[in-house]
Amino acid sequence: MVTNVTNLSRSGLYDWMAQRVSAVVLAAYFVFLIVWIIAHPGLQYAQWHGLYANNWMRVFSLLALVALAAHAWVGMWTIATDYLTPMAFGKSALAIRFLFQVVCGVAMFAYFTWGVLILWGI
Amino acid sequence: MLFGLSKSLSSEEGFGDVKAYLTSPLAKFVIWALLSALLYHLVAGVRHLIMDTGVGETLEGGKLGSKIVIAVSVVVIVLAGVWIW
Repeated sequence: MVTNVTNLSRSGLYDWMAQRVSAVVLAAYFVFLIVWIIAHPGLQYAQWHGLYANNWMRVFSLLALVALAAHAWVGMWTIATDYLTPMAFGKSALAIRFLFQVVCGVAMFAYFTWGVLILWGI
Repeated sequence: MLFGLSKSLSSEEGFGDVKAYLTSPLAKFVIWALLSALLYHLVAGVRHLIMDTGVGETLEGGKLGSKIVIAVSVVVIVLAGVWIW
């Protein structure tokens, strides 16, 4: 049996909600960004920099970054607890799964910190 | 991707560098591959949200929905390829 001690909120229902809310935020962000880039062919530095210099764009980007971290955690938790199980790996499953989640967590934290530095560094 | 974002926002030259990298066929292919995965995930995710509202939850609906997801994904992925090249 796999316990839910490493899921995002200790509540499946809350995780379910967080996954969907973050999904809508991410969909809005990427659709906006793709449409914006398509709408600006021959993009120049000033336009690109100008977009990210807006406070609303920074807030939107930070929101997307938080949503990405939460969405990735829920998704990776689901994969890890579905497939990295004693059925597949026997006794070492717990160690393998924990290691996998540590790597995912560190990667997401690194991406998040890096993203914040980029957004507030310009 | 974050490295590209950081460099493109850092300075005029950085932006030019990223733009230059993105003209190479290999870089275009990588961008297309990443974009394809994102678009498929997006389309399949929208299907999940639709199914959350109770639409298409039958066996027949599920089969039809999965076919629609693949068809729509193929279309947007081809469009993304056209856009990139």
